[in-house]
Parts: sequence; C-alpha cells; structure tokens
Amino acid sequence: MKWTADLEHFPYPFKGSTYRYSNNSIPMITPISVEITPDYKNEMLLKRNLLTHHPDRCYQSLPHTKTAQWEIVELVIDHLAAHYPNEFTIEKQNSTWIFSNKLLDEKVEFVFGDLQSLPCEPLAFISHHVQEDLILMMQRDDDLYLDAGQLCFPANWSLAFNIGMKFKNIHHPIPGFKEEGLDDRILQFLLRLEAGNPWERKNWSLMAGDRLDTSLETFDQWGQLRKQVTKENAGKLVHIRVEVQKLFRLSQTNNILFTIHTHLLSLEQLTAIPEWLQQFYDILSKLPPHIVEYKGISLYKNAVLKYLEKQLERVKAT
Amino acid sequence: MNSEALFINGKRKYIFCGDDQGLKLLSSVMEKVIEEGLIHERFLLSDRKMPLLEDFLRSQNMGTFLYLAIPFSELQRFRTAIEDIGYSDEEVQYIGYGEKIISLFCCRCHEINKTKHEQKRLFCQGCGLDLEVSDHYSDLHDAFLGYVAKL
Ligand code: HEM
Ligand SMILES: [Zn+2]
Repeated sequence: MKWTADLEHFPYPFKGSTYRYSNNSIPMITPISVEITPDYKNEMLLKRNLLTHHPDRCYQSLPHTKTAQWEIVELVIDHLAAHYPNEFTIEKQNSTWIFSNKLLDEKVEFVFGDLQSLPCEPLAFISHHVQEDLILMMQRDDDLYLDAGQLCFPANWSLAFNIGMKFKNIHHPIPGFKEEGLDDRILQFLLRLEAGNPWERKNWSLMAGDRLDTSLETFDQWGQLRKQVTKENAGKLVHIRVEVQKLFRLSQTNNILFTIHTHLLSLEQLTAIPEWLQQFYDILSKLPPHIVEYKGISLYKNAVLKYLEKQLERVKAT
Repeated sequence: MNSEALFINGKRKYIFCGDDQGLKLLSSVMEKVIEEGLIHERFLLSDRKMPLLEDFLRSQNMGTFLYLAIPFSELQRFRTAIEDIGYSDEEVQYIGYGEKIISLFCCRCHEINKTKHEQKRLFCQGCGLDLEVSDHYSDLHDAFLGYVAKL
C-alpha cells in the first residue's frame, strides 16, 4: 500500500545521523490510541480479509483476558468518538451501547460486558474498526505477558508463536538487546507506565515491496522480493516501514494496551525531501551490521546505498 | 545448555543440583570446589520435582552459583522456572545428558515438529518447508521457533 497523504504527515522516524537500539519512547502529546488516515477504507478491507481467512495468524487470546478486552473496547471507542466525532459515535444507555462507524456505514448494538452480545471476542470486534494492530500485555508478578492480540500487519513475527510470552522473551531475537540490558530497562519502564500518561515510539525498517501483511508465516513468499532489488528499481520497490507504537495503561485491570500503526513510504517518496535523503543515507551507511542483518536489509543494502548516492548527486547538481 | 560442567571461580556459594546421573556429571567440578574449601551444597533431585527445588533456590543469597544437571529433555522446562525465580544466565550452568528431543514450531504452518537437539535444519512435517532451528523459545508451546532456512 502506497502512502497517499501529504508527506508532512508521514511519521518520519529519524533523529541525528546514527541509529542504535534504545528506549526511544516519548510521552504522547495528544493521548489517542488509534488514528484514522486517508487509507482507512482500503486497509480495513485488507485487514478484515486477513482476519477472516487467517484467523490463527491474525488473532490469538488466552481465556483469562476477557475483562481486559472489554476495557480495550471502551478505551478505543471513547477515543474514536472523541477525536473523530463525524466518523464515529457511541451511545451508552446503561450497559447497552450503540456504536456507529460512519466511514463503513455500520452500526453495532451490544451489551457492554456481555460476551454473547457480540459476534466475536471484544478485542476482535474492535479490531475490525481500526487500522492499528492491537496487543494486550497483561501485568502480573512484575512482568508483562502477551496474553491477547490482533495482528494483521506484523514486521515479520508470529503472534501464534508469541502468544502467552513474557516481554523479555518476546524480544529475545533482537541482537544485543539483552546484552546491553535494554530489555530489562524497557520492561521496568513499562511496569511503571501510568494510566493517563501514555507513551509512544516509532520503529522503522526497510522492506522490498509494499505489503502491509509481512507476517512470518508468509515470509517465504514476500521475502523473495529482496533478491530483486537493484539500484535502478530501489526507489519504487523498496519501502521504509514505520510503526507508530502507543502504550496505554488500562486503569481498571492494570494491564497495557500496545497499538501498532504501520505506515509505508517508497524510497522515491522519502528522498523527495533533500534533508530526509541525506539523513537516511547517513544512517543507513553507518548502520551496525547486526542491525542491518536483523532488519533484513543485508541482501539489498548496497543497491539501496547506490540508489541514494545517485539521488544525492542529483540534488547537488540542481 | 552444555554437556560438560566448567568450574567458575570466585562465587560465594556453589549449589550442585541434579538427579543421580546428573550429579555424577558434576563430580569433577564438585571435587574442585571441595579442594579449594569453598562453600557448597548438594541438592538431589530424586524425582525431578520442581517445587522443592524452587523453594530451596529462592532461599539462597545473592552470589550463589548453580549447577543443574538433568536429562536434556527436561532442561528447558527447569530453565524457565529457574529464570522466573530470578537466576540469570551468568549464575547458572545447565548441563544436560541423554538424547535431547526438542519441539520445533513451524513459522509457516504452526506444526510442532520433534527433532534431535543437535539438528540445525529440518523439513517441516506439516508443510515441507526447510526450517532453521532457532533459540527463540515459547513456554506455552514448549517449542523453539523454526525460521525459513533459505529464501
Ligand atoms: C509492550 C509491548 C511490546 C510488544 C508486544 C513488543 C513486541 C515486539 C516484537 C514481537 C518484536 C519482534 C521480535 C522478533 O523478531 O520476533 C519487537 C521488536 C523490537 N522491539 Fe518491541 N514490543 C513492545 C514494546 C517495545 C518497547 C516499549 C520498545 C522500546 C522502547 C521496544 C523495542 C523494540 C525494538 C528496538 C525491536 C527491534 C525492531 C527492529 O529492529 O526493527 N518494544 N517488539
Ligand atoms: Zn510447516
């Protein structure tokens, strides 16, 4: 999926001229867990298709998560209705709620807290209305567990494998994360997350192609494009993939809602802004090998660098 | 997870824990510790029951070093419990013996494959994908993750 909005709205992820793993979370200025972009309708179509045809890949939950799931429904619906009043409304008559999604022309009536009143689990239900992937991290014994989640647009990881997993364990595949003590520092930070003070961060990667659903389950297919990148086609084929991740403490159940909104931008679009071009070139050319490898860029990094060099020459010439 | 124990110097206390055969594998390190006059304790896991061991490990002070020697097939399960108590990788040596069969979760079809632990590659029994064995482990599945071995 191509970025169709203004470039100035793209969540550009870079600061400085180098990139290292760190806790790059910042307090959220406008506390909102989900965002509606111009791609809303297309992405909802894609997401609903994936949820229907690949339920195990896209949705997992453990039985003890229902109360927390309802709390997520409430938080997300309240945010939608408050920030997008023309697109979403909620009428609450005691525990009977009527939720309207005007973008999709849908109206859902249910009894809050009553599982029978929805066609699916509460987390699955609300997932059908937002572009974000929604992950529930349950807190107990000073740890966080991935006990439920809806994940249609993962950056090459498997929800089905990770279900029930602890925070540090989830991050085990990342090189250097444990050795540098980052996993523990970030976990301690998350355990102290307070209701009413949400945080956000951006994560970035590169990919060959423009699929949002880059699941680990289908990597053997979409990964093939990595072999086709050349310095000639990199501008159109290679995309920067930015995840805007948000962290909310759920005040009633003391768990954490983690939302992931994935955005793709072709290198051609990224490099249209000379400052971005230079900064991205600096970062990519100095990116440590273990990060290049983990992010899956090794096969085509050189082709991308050559492409960027050509663009830099072009900018200097004008 | 090794098959041989190594003496690590300079710890406040050493714990040697294993079943009968496991403790035999620890005997040379134990002798060394005795020779050097270091504080130590033996813990026989007669029936490989976890709760007693957990209580025992919880009651230990910081600076305690643990050797655990049991069949490979049980090792990962114990390791998880010991990590939960708060022992880090630097405070424990895990020694396994016997045949180690592990489960491997296929990244494509989610099939759980059984394989010998030495094996680094495997064709998934569910979908035939060529899998590379990783050390990414799930307690819930009691399995390691198998990634695409070759694009
Ligand atoms: C609390 C909810 C979170 C969940 C469920 C989560 C989940 C994940 C997962 C599944 C991966 C991919 C691991 C793999 O390769 O299998 C990952 C990567 C990563 N996570 Fe998290 N994460 C969370 C929060 C955070 C936070 C708060 C930070 C930092 C402040 C963070 C930093 C990272 C980094 C740096 C990577 C590597 C990304 C890359 O290089 O592209 N995570 N995370
Ligand atoms: Zn398979």
